[in-house]
Amino acid sequence: MDPKSGIDPKSGIDRRGVLKGMAGLAAGSAVGAFPMPALAQNTPLKVGIIAPRAGTAAYIGANGLRAVEWSTEKINASGGIAGRKVELVVEEETNAKETLERARRLVLQEKVDCIQGGYSTGVTLPMAPTLEDMQVLTIFWDGTTQDGVKETMPSPKYVFKSADNECEAVMASLIALKHLKGQFKRIAAISPDYTYGRNVWTAFKALNKKFGIDAEVVSEQWSSFSQLDFTANVAALKAAKPDLIYCVLGNADLPIFMRAATSAGLTDTARMVLVQAGHQHGQLKKPFTPVGTLLCYNTMYFARPNPSPAQKEFVEYYMDKYKDYPHWESDRAFFAMNVYKAGVEKAMAAKGGSWPKPEEIAQAIEGIKVESFGGPAGMRKDHIAEEMFYGGFATHDNPYDVCTLKDTYSYDASVLQKPPGADFWGWLETANFPV
Amino acid sequence: MKTILAFLAVLAAFVAAPFALGPYYTTLIIPILAYAIALTGLNLLFGYGGLLSFGHAMFLAIGAYASAVMGAKLGVRAFEAQLIVAMLASGTVAALIGLLCLRYTTIFFSMLTLAFGMIFHSFLFKFYDLTGGESGISVPRPSLFGASFASMSKTAFLVGPFYWYALGLFSVMFLLMALIVSSPFGLALKAGRDNERKTSFLGVPVFKVRYVAFILSGIYCAVGGAVLAVSIGAADPELSYWTQSGNMIFIIILGGLGQLFGPIVGAVSFTLLQDTLMANTEYWRFALGAILALIIIFAPRGILGLITRALEWRRR
Repeated sequence: MDPKSGIDPKSGIDRRGVLKGMAGLAAGSAVGAFPMPALAQNTPLKVGIIAPRAGTAAYIGANGLRAVEWSTEKINASGGIAGRKVELVVEEETNAKETLERARRLVLQEKVDCIQGGYSTGVTLPMAPTLEDMQVLTIFWDGTTQDGVKETMPSPKYVFKSADNECEAVMASLIALKHLKGQFKRIAAISPDYTYGRNVWTAFKALNKKFGIDAEVVSEQWSSFSQLDFTANVAALKAAKPDLIYCVLGNADLPIFMRAATSAGLTDTARMVLVQAGHQHGQLKKPFTPVGTLLCYNTMYFARPNPSPAQKEFVEYYMDKYKDYPHWESDRAFFAMNVYKAGVEKAMAAKGGSWPKPEEIAQAIEGIKVESFGGPAGMRKDHIAEEMFYGGFATHDNPYDVCTLKDTYSYDASVLQKPPGADFWGWLETANFPV
Repeated sequence: MKTILAFLAVLAAFVAAPFALGPYYTTLIIPILAYAIALTGLNLLFGYGGLLSFGHAMFLAIGAYASAVMGAKLGVRAFEAQLIVAMLASGTVAALIGLLCLRYTTIFFSMLTLAFGMIFHSFLFKFYDLTGGESGISVPRPSLFGASFASMSKTAFLVGPFYWYALGLFSVMFLLMALIVSSPFGLALKAGRDNERKTSFLGVPVFKVRYVAFILSGIYCAVGGAVLAVSIGAADPELSYWTQSGNMIFIIILGGLGQLFGPIVGAVSFTLLQDTLMANTEYWRFALGAILALIIIFAPRGILGLITRALEWRRR
């Protein structure tokens, strides 16, 4: 085990040995063997992390994992959380079945105190009610596409969700409406054929209508997940002659599409709106990301002017160590760990120094404010995160091999996200947006 | 007699498991039982009938979605009713698809089943208003024999009543399969596998026998899928993806193709192997792939084949 970071590189083997005594105690209570908050305070605080480590989402998972390891190292170096060192137990996010089994392993076998992570809504949806039922404090990094969230767990006690996935899309629409109004009459979309893609494209059209933009939809391209050949889609888009293309690709498919689109000359005739540019911005190299492309960076923009000290330090560390540019999943992981830390310490202070139960920590997290990489952030009382979102138009005027933002536009999630209890589509119609 | 004794030994191990293992491993046994039920069916078609299907994950998903739709959309919580609907739905789909697929054998049969499996996956993925798309449909906790167990936590429900229910279901399905494969029908199926022309000359209606086996395998997979869905708490399109069909074939080969106990041995070995590998290395896929390659090369009859060889070697 690395004493500095608290990370066991073998992930599990040694810990099992260390926790044999605990496992024995837990076995006695058989089915009710859930986390025991009254553990001695000199034992490490175990945090289970669930993140994708392979496939098209591996790049996103790596950003989160690297940030959570960095955060843990920092927290441990400054004395841990309420005096207890943090130890991470990492499990891979794959499909719903396997990931749920990994989550159960974290709770029942590893006896973690908290679970953080989760990228795909398809995985977080079945995980959330299971972890809520197991009374495990859970802070999701992501995985909150509206259709699932509004039906699953309307008022959780132990589970905290990330900011709505649709926030970045609402921001993309607002920036486009504000800065490109009058410049597009023919619009097209390309997106993986999934709920999020359909939702955000519908939201963009709804906002166009709301603000009196009568743009004609000339093409809708629905690609399959992990599609790596966009020749046909690019040809169809080119033939449709749109002025603006609303692109919701976000995994490894985004840079591949942009290469194909640039090669075919599509980006010469149509303005690109990359809703999920933040997912892959390190892969969006200048030669195939034209100046003026609308880039949405979600909750972290690595080159943000006047960054927080934490972001500045992390970005320097990340670029130096990994030769890449960190993105929003790093922010989400940092945010989750710091929300947990703040919650534990607040609950502990309220109890006069004795270790709080999971429900007391959860209660303390409600309404809490922390400084994340992306700036001021917090957790609403309805267990939904609020963070800053960043976007703007691409410029090549920088020392990097990727684009940065000419002017950085930032939006607080309170502007981009439906208020507690509201329906997303109803809120879109009635909300007052700053356009 | 040997089969009954071996089955009783397996049953005793599963009965003892919740007491000997912690709650985590008990929750892990439920998908083992689900896969064992499903693969007992697939083994009938693949192991005894010689027909390799790359699309049987579709029937697993039909079972899972039947449970999800009944429980979440129609409010029918009785698991017995969900199972009946799952079996009827899967049997009907298998009856329709089987008519087309069974006109072919070898790789052509495999490709046709793969095609139908992928069509079904696309249906689940694209018709999201109906199926929940990539997020699938949540599966609420079912009632068992009329008891809802509402006061129990989900884990307590899974490692308690549902575990025993799934074990009972597996036992019934397994014993039924033992009767099927030892019946004249099972003999005809094996004969058709070994020599289709000779079997036909003996007056065995090979197509009909295979058709029934195809439907039975679909029904078994659906029952396994319904059990799996309760354990996961959701039915999602990944259950019907071709990689799931690949996993199912892998598990059968790992356990022992064409052997009655192959699916259960394979399901136990695969689940525990994957769990151990995933807990210890992020490169677990490489290890699983390498193990499959080694089994195909050195132990084509799977783990049961290895055990049999070891026993024979000892007797000598």
